[in-house]
Amino acid sequence: MGVIRNEIRRLRFEHGEMTQQELAEKIKVTRQTVNAIEQGKYSPSLEAAFRISAVFGRPLESVFHYSQDE
Amino acid sequence: MSFREKTAWISMLSMAGIYGVYFWSVIRAGHQAGGFRYGGLLMTVVALVVVQAVLTVAVTIFSPKEAKAPRDERDKLIELRAMRVAYAGLATSVAMACFFGAFTPPIIFNTNSLLFLLVTAEIMRSGCQIIQYRRGA
Repeated sequence: MGVIRNEIRRLRFEHGEMTQQELAEKIKVTRQTVNAIEQGKYSPSLEAAFRISAVFGRPLESVFHYSQDE
Repeated sequence: MSFREKTAWISMLSMAGIYGVYFWSVIRAGHQAGGFRYGGLLMTVVALVVVQAVLTVAVTIFSPKEAKAPRDERDKLIELRAMRVAYAGLATSVAMACFFGAFTPPIIFNTNSLLFLLVTAEIMRSGCQIIQYRRGA
């Protein structure tokens, strides 16, 4: 089974120290969902992932990284 | 704790507490319980509705913004998973009830027993939601 990592926390910091709540409002999810995504406990839907990437103005692959376990 | 998790706690604890009192009274009545006790059940349902409404309103007052927000994709997924667990529990219980009915003499589950199975399934559903929220899933 693969693992998905993300750079959301770092990107939030780089974008004016955006809070989880602010990001949550932009992508229309709850703050708890953003927290779960950042911690890798929840994999967002494709649509949510694209919304997150759009907020940071980055391509999807630079926000989310997928690696397959050996 | 998110608003959805709080409402799950309210649901689980209120159902366990209020229905617990009802079923305890049924068990204490023993053979005198006889048929379905509509009066007792009606009071139970009214008490449950009142308690859940009061607690939900209280939680809403403290988090109005969260309460107004619609369920997001994670909330919906957690709810679906919890429903799946609750349904599996209910289906297993009904299957066991059918199994016991095959005994001679048959062990017939009366209305209160079936209600107990349904309430248990509902409590399982809320419990499963809480576990998922606690894990941050």
